[in-house]
Amino acid sequence: MTPMKWFWGYMKKYSPKMAVGLVLLTITSLLAMVNPKLTGIIVDDIIGDGRKIELKPLLMLLGIMIAITVIRSVLRLIFLWQFETASQSMLYDMRDGVYRNLLQKDFAFYNKTRTGDLMARQTGDMMAIRHFVAFVIYNIYENVMLFIIALIMIFMVDWRIAVCMVAVLPFTAFNTYCQSKSIKPKFTIVRNRFSSLNAFTQENISGNRVVKAFAKEDYEIEKFDRENDAYREAELGAATIWERHVPIFEFLSNMLLFVLMLVGGIMVIKGTMTLGNMVMINGYLWMLNNPLRMAGWLTNDLFRFITSVEKIYSTIQEVPKISSPKQGWSPERLKGSVEFKHVSYRMYDDVILQDISFEVKQGWKVGIIGATGSGKSTIMNLMCRFFDATEGRVKVGGVNVKKLDLHTLRDSIGMAMQDVFLFSDTIEGNIAYGKPDCSFEEVVWAAKIAGAHDFIMQMPDGYNTIVGERGMGLSGGQKQRISLARALLKKPSIVILDDTTSAVDMETEAQIQNALQSVDEQQTVFIIAHRISSIKDADMILVLNDGKIVERGNHDTLMEQKGYYYTVFSHQYGEFDKFRHSGKRKGGWQHGTK
Amino acid sequence: MARNKIDVDEELEEKFDLGQVKRLGKYVGPYKNKMIWTIILMLISSALTMLQPLFLKDVMEAIENFQKGLISDSDAIKIILTNSVLMLIDTLVVVLILRVKIRWTNQVGQNVVHDLRKDLFVHLQKLPFSYYDERPHGKIQVRVVNYVNNLSDLLSNGIVNTITDMVSLLFIVAFMLYLNVNFTLICLCGLPILVAIVWLVKSRQRKAWQLQSNKQSNLNAYIAESMNGIRVTQSFVRERENTIIFNRLNEEARVTWLNAVKYNFILSPVVENITMLTTAVIYVLGVSWLMGGFKGVTVGVLVAFTGYIARFWSPITTMANFYNNLLTAVSYLERIFETIDTPVDVKDAPHAVEMPPIKGDVEFQHVNFSYDEGVKILDDVSFQVKAGESYALVGPTGAGKSTIVNLISRFYNLDSGKVLIDGQDISKVTIASLRKQMGVMMQDSFIFAGTIMDNIRYGNMEATDEQVIQAAVTVCAHDFIMEMEKGYQTEVNERGSRLSAGQRQLISFARALLADPKILILDEATSSIDTETEILLQQGLNKLLEGRTSFIIAHRLSTIKNASCIMYIQDGKIAQQGTHEELLKDEKGYYYQLYMSQYDFLQE
Repeated sequence: MTPMKWFWGYMKKYSPKMAVGLVLLTITSLLAMVNPKLTGIIVDDIIGDGRKIELKPLLMLLGIMIAITVIRSVLRLIFLWQFETASQSMLYDMRDGVYRNLLQKDFAFYNKTRTGDLMARQTGDMMAIRHFVAFVIYNIYENVMLFIIALIMIFMVDWRIAVCMVAVLPFTAFNTYCQSKSIKPKFTIVRNRFSSLNAFTQENISGNRVVKAFAKEDYEIEKFDRENDAYREAELGAATIWERHVPIFEFLSNMLLFVLMLVGGIMVIKGTMTLGNMVMINGYLWMLNNPLRMAGWLTNDLFRFITSVEKIYSTIQEVPKISSPKQGWSPERLKGSVEFKHVSYRMYDDVILQDISFEVKQGWKVGIIGATGSGKSTIMNLMCRFFDATEGRVKVGGVNVKKLDLHTLRDSIGMAMQDVFLFSDTIEGNIAYGKPDCSFEEVVWAAKIAGAHDFIMQMPDGYNTIVGERGMGLSGGQKQRISLARALLKKPSIVILDDTTSAVDMETEAQIQNALQSVDEQQTVFIIAHRISSIKDADMILVLNDGKIVERGNHDTLMEQKGYYYTVFSHQYGEFDKFRHSGKRKGGWQHGTK
Repeated sequence: MARNKIDVDEELEEKFDLGQVKRLGKYVGPYKNKMIWTIILMLISSALTMLQPLFLKDVMEAIENFQKGLISDSDAIKIILTNSVLMLIDTLVVVLILRVKIRWTNQVGQNVVHDLRKDLFVHLQKLPFSYYDERPHGKIQVRVVNYVNNLSDLLSNGIVNTITDMVSLLFIVAFMLYLNVNFTLICLCGLPILVAIVWLVKSRQRKAWQLQSNKQSNLNAYIAESMNGIRVTQSFVRERENTIIFNRLNEEARVTWLNAVKYNFILSPVVENITMLTTAVIYVLGVSWLMGGFKGVTVGVLVAFTGYIARFWSPITTMANFYNNLLTAVSYLERIFETIDTPVDVKDAPHAVEMPPIKGDVEFQHVNFSYDEGVKILDDVSFQVKAGESYALVGPTGAGKSTIVNLISRFYNLDSGKVLIDGQDISKVTIASLRKQMGVMMQDSFIFAGTIMDNIRYGNMEATDEQVIQAAVTVCAHDFIMEMEKGYQTEVNERGSRLSAGQRQLISFARALLADPKILILDEATSSIDTETEILLQQGLNKLLEGRTSFIIAHRLSTIKNASCIMYIQDGKIAQQGTHEELLKDEKGYYYQLYMSQYDFLQE
């Protein structure tokens, strides 16, 4: 597949429509030649020397001319409409195709691609394609057609002078060739700079809090200046190419008149051509002139278009490494058992996980604890198959995840991620994200379990409160609880809480923990946390360090091992003993969870 | 303003505002000379182009004279040669002028767009958080990048061509008047028809394009958000649903485009038909006047005049097209200017002074604050912090902890009361000089695309590599950074899953430290960091915090136990205040209950 084949795949569907447009265009172009002829007849035959003018034929001819103009206008509107609808429909399909394609890309792709680049593909590049389909195509056609018709006409009048005029063609071709060769790299630079400007702006907007906190506005403006300048330079750089070539086309088009005057004039003097023929050829000259004049601009547009198609194509042609297997196993509902067998995972040669094995039965509660960057989240990502294990096997519901239909797998897992992303939508819409057709009661149910209901109700618009992109304007704890509610609403076989309560105060966390237990006996729960309180009651606790499981067991056995877990516990709750012995405990925590 | 969602249009302004077009003049102004010269050159060029038929005419006349035997063939050839050479020279000049025109108009167009974009961006940097929180980011972005781009051709070629054509129109009208006044008047009769039609569709056309730009903006915003939230989408298997939403917006963009572009199509057939009609009228009247022996009407005049009708209408078409494009552009322009005009609430007071080097005393005097009118967030908050002390804020979510620390950096203006640093009211100093001396680490740790080194250095651009590494060592980030294949040169990005949330927090921590702030604010800065690392981190930090005032918001109480003072915030008020030990003595107090609640789970 090449970029152009990809493009053609979209255009094919609308080519009949465009063919109709081209036919209409041909008719209007031919009709355009009628009126000047009729004008000639009026001037020469009817008005003549002005002595005896018959009004009747004059009115008739004028009537025909008006009729032709009206018909032409109508046909023109129809063919413009054909092209415009074709281009918009095609654009619709193309955006849809690119969007679907992007949704299927794996994490690896998104790790290296900037959002601004992808935005540029869907905005600026799409516009270049629109312009091509709705404008450039028929212009090229019209100009080529006019050029050929005029050339034939001139050949019929006098082939010798026609040959002289054809002499400009090689120059035209050469100029077009040179222009297209040098313009393409320039347009590639323009597209890249545009992408880069887009990406920079996008990050500045997303990171606006950091920019302000560090009072780095000036620095950002300075950086923006560089991007802005670079983009301007790129555009001007491309302009230097057409500034060189477009005037040459203009020159060549003027040369036609020059040829007519010089060669035609001498031929008439020598008696090898009549003056009438010379006048007639002059009448056709505009049909040759215009296409030549337009050639430079059209070449430009053409290559802008080609560059954009290539840009989009290069973004979408990357095949995601992770995709649903053909005829993947897709049971009604996956069971909540999970098994890792000698799983290792490496990214860019860094060892992230090493020989991880564990088995989780349906309905278990599993706690995972370990140092920052020890690979806790990666285990979850492998389970959801956002990455594939480099070695070993991951089974969910007793089936190798690679054999499972991707959607079935992910649909069975509800994940509340470490860094919460909320959409600029109502709170209700955000919670119902995984199950858009659910009832409002279900949303409230999930929010209550996640300990979010109370604060949501305190907001001015309750569940209809619109939250900013990324949940801006909400506190960390509030965002986490909304994200937890979102994960719970799916009623998945497996729930993952990836550090989801870190910003929630302890009282609320205890409530959430209690509520979670009451949801579903059969639901498997994974909790990644740093607070012992979050995972103490787990059926199995895994302690991770440097991508390896270093301790495993339940709270009691791990406490006996006096390893990492025990140390963490002592750090967090060492003081507890003091209180126990001083008997100060009473009264405090019992109504602590009020 | 209420928050805006993806699929909600931003409000439309009803009136077509010429003021917006005038403001554009301000941007074209600096390049006025180049524009004027381009226009002069273009006028010369069109005059030269008009000469070309004259050369041909000379040649033809010479041939006729030769055929009539008036001149010899060598004379005729001489005339042909002279005219051909003149034609060649004429062409060369025209071509040269064209080259200059292309260069200059591009320069003007790109520069205007460049300046406009810069103004827009600079203003965006001044706008508060709330501006960004209130609307999808994609909608802001398209204004800076795409909308502005749409203007470049209009503001360069559009203006030059329109003015050039206006001047040539004057010449043509003058010439037509010279030929025949009556014919000219008939010809001008077509103009009101055109104006009337343009006027009739104007407001619809404008609304149609406004709607289109809104729908396009919705679509773009949705694309941006889809890409940013891709992990959530994939893990919630929302692809199908999102595609449906996307295609709804996609369809709206398509339909509104087709609806709007219709109006642009109307113009040229209208002009063509008017041309034809006036020509017909002139023929009919001309012929009857000719036969009636009307004064001044000859065959020559009639034929010549009809030849000029097309020339009269062609510049008018250009201007009408310019107007068309202008109407389209106004729907972008008003968005751009709307952004530039958004008032900046938090800005330097007139005569604001530079904040002198901060010692670190912070004082709140009866501070009242609310984001939305009527919903009080902080209620008469007063406290005093001495330089070098570390203050911890605890309390339920939404109590106002983050708001208090945000006010120290003056991210918002107070409703009433004062925030003083070293006895200086912070609303009286320049914002940049204040914030540069503070280190703030927020709940969202944002990572820019670039190397880890760059991300840490963001806190202090002048820092050497060694200083960056030192900061990373202090926050215990050095080890994991060195484990990555390219160490500090590893490329990371905003969405990047290369870094865990804890690692990202450590990096932004290092960034805050590198700024060497006198006041350090840690807003849930360590929530995703494991206990072990946190203990190590604190040992390093204790040394660093010496001599610095710090404010810490945290839910893990082990993090704040050693603070000089702990404030329990509830419902926008300081409910309790004191050291850890002091607060624990009050068994009825909020802090005691909070502290004990962490042990609840141990007791079953």
